[in-house]
Amino acid sequence: MLRVGIVGVGTMGRTHASAYIKLPNTQLIGFYDAVTEAAQRVASQFGVQAFPTYEAMLEQVDMVDICTPTPTHLDLVLKAAGAGKHILCEKPLGRTLQQCEQMIEAASNAGVTLMPAQVLRFFPEFKQAHDLVLAGAVGKPAAIRTRRGGPYPRAANDWYADFEQSGGPILDMVIHDFDWLRWTFGEVERVFAKALTFKKLDHIDYALITLRLKSGAIAHVEANWADPSGFKVDFEIAGDAGMIAFDSRFAMPLTVAKQESGGGGGGVAVPESPLAEDPYMLEIKHFVDSVEAGQQPSITAVDGMKAVEIALAAIESARTGKVIRLGGGA
Amino acid sequence: MAVRIGMMSFAHMHAYSYAHCVKQLEAEGRAQLVGVADDDPQRGQQVAQQYGTRFYESYEALLDAGIDAVIVCPENVKHRPLTEMAAKAGKHVLCEKPLATSKADGRAMIEVCKANGVQLMTAFPCRFSPSYIRLKQMVEAGELGEVLAIRGTNRGRNPGGWFIVPELSGGGAVIDHTVHVTDLCRDLLHSEVVEVYAEIGNGFCHSDFDDTGMLTLTFANDVFATLDSSWSRPKVFPTWGDVTLQVVGTKGLVYMDMFAQNSTLYDDRNMRITLEHWGSSIDYGLVSAFVESVASGKPVPITGEDGLAAAEVAFAAYESAKRGEPVQLPLPE
Repeated sequence: MLRVGIVGVGTMGRTHASAYIKLPNTQLIGFYDAVTEAAQRVASQFGVQAFPTYEAMLEQVDMVDICTPTPTHLDLVLKAAGAGKHILCEKPLGRTLQQCEQMIEAASNAGVTLMPAQVLRFFPEFKQAHDLVLAGAVGKPAAIRTRRGGPYPRAANDWYADFEQSGGPILDMVIHDFDWLRWTFGEVERVFAKALTFKKLDHIDYALITLRLKSGAIAHVEANWADPSGFKVDFEIAGDAGMIAFDSRFAMPLTVAKQESGGGGGGVAVPESPLAEDPYMLEIKHFVDSVEAGQQPSITAVDGMKAVEIALAAIESARTGKVIRLGGGA
Repeated sequence: MAVRIGMMSFAHMHAYSYAHCVKQLEAEGRAQLVGVADDDPQRGQQVAQQYGTRFYESYEALLDAGIDAVIVCPENVKHRPLTEMAAKAGKHVLCEKPLATSKADGRAMIEVCKANGVQLMTAFPCRFSPSYIRLKQMVEAGELGEVLAIRGTNRGRNPGGWFIVPELSGGGAVIDHTVHVTDLCRDLLHSEVVEVYAEIGNGFCHSDFDDTGMLTLTFANDVFATLDSSWSRPKVFPTWGDVTLQVVGTKGLVYMDMFAQNSTLYDDRNMRITLEHWGSSIDYGLVSAFVESVASGKPVPITGEDGLAAAEVAFAAYESAKRGEPVQLPLPE
């Protein structure tokens, strides 16, 4: 039985908590949040403890799950590693490459497991596409497109809007796609990107990123925080023997439309795509099972760092207007 | 008075649709398809028969047949010689896209038409799409606020034939599929492309022509756009391809899938699923506008300069891919 403490009680902290309380081999001990009242409120919802300090929580758990704004990850990971606790850390692993390197070194020295929560690998549509590509279903991939986004995200202290913290949609959001692309199609050779990030607009951000992969394939990634009509995801993998296409708009088995009070006329249709196995649950289960078995999870901390490296290269390209070639690779 | 039209070459398959449109205009009394000429006499004769018009043994004979204007649809590299021939004979020209395969050729075509007092129009039918016209209205009415970014695609299938012989086409997918969306962006933004970055590949056909193009365009007004010009549609894809445009503004976003007006045909006899388009014919809008300009003497709505500006983006894309860095426009003459 793994005793779990969660740092951060935002959407992701609560989503993860719901998984831990269902798993047979974990026990959710409690939450820590910089805002004590928020921790208390969420802890009482889950019937667990709210810790006054991070250190106090670390004393009572075997692993921590870090669901806080990106720049706080480094300190939280270093402390957890120092206390010998296993760590599941939200993406992006760090705000800088140096932060990622420090985390990886600390976890390695302490002999604890550090997994970045690149949850996209557990989304069935992305996992299936990955498997199909590796099975050769489209032949050799040549052109890949991904799109992710919707309205500008709102969270505590509006931290997404602070580029120094969040890195904007390139680092915070399409890091998912960067990780999935690397996992499925291999390493990235160079990056060219354009973004609204540096225009400092009021809660609008948007980026179009082109990646050249070492395999020769070309990938186009859209990061969209400018679409008020709702969150959407799509991808298309075109190869020399076929194509896989997915669009979240058309993969909704359920659409409910409720009459607005007063009837006749208004009301919005809300689509849903329910799954028996929630991707966050699958992700957490994989982490917990790996820790229990003493095995390396399939997503390594280095994977987390490499995704950050691609994102930072895209940001650098958008900032400077230059093509950014990625270092080393392996 | 009906505008008397001759058609020079049916090498480009769009010529068939244009001929059909001329016949429609003929029925309306606005145009007359006087005849066709073609390097390939067999094709020319067959087309003449198909459209109930006369086949001329040579381009010279067609130009001498008392026509007002020509529609020029040969292999891309022949746009210049046929346009020059027509202009010198005093005929107005509607030229298939891309206008030219080099800047020098495009410039020469514009000059020869000017010198001979004839109009040169570039065949960008997407400008006549009702969906695009509606999109442009929204942008011009300020419904999206200030336009910030555009994501475009013009994806298709490898058309084969001369399209994949660079000596005849001037390249591959990039020269073929860059100009439509580039033209729409220029028209929408009233701004010129000042920088092009392109990743170009041949990962679909693995041959000596390009079949994959991912372009990034920056406009003088600081708007950026990407354009996927790849021949990435599989052989079993239910339609030829697409033209899409997502325009992002300070007040909202509009997405256009220009050819989305389809019904799906599930065809057991041919074991195929196809999208059957029922949207308006954009080619009719194009040919009708050309005929209107020739008849009235009004300037054509899409000029040779427009055609060259869009083609120049494709030239810059090839240059960018060669250099591995963004290329500034205008390119040297």
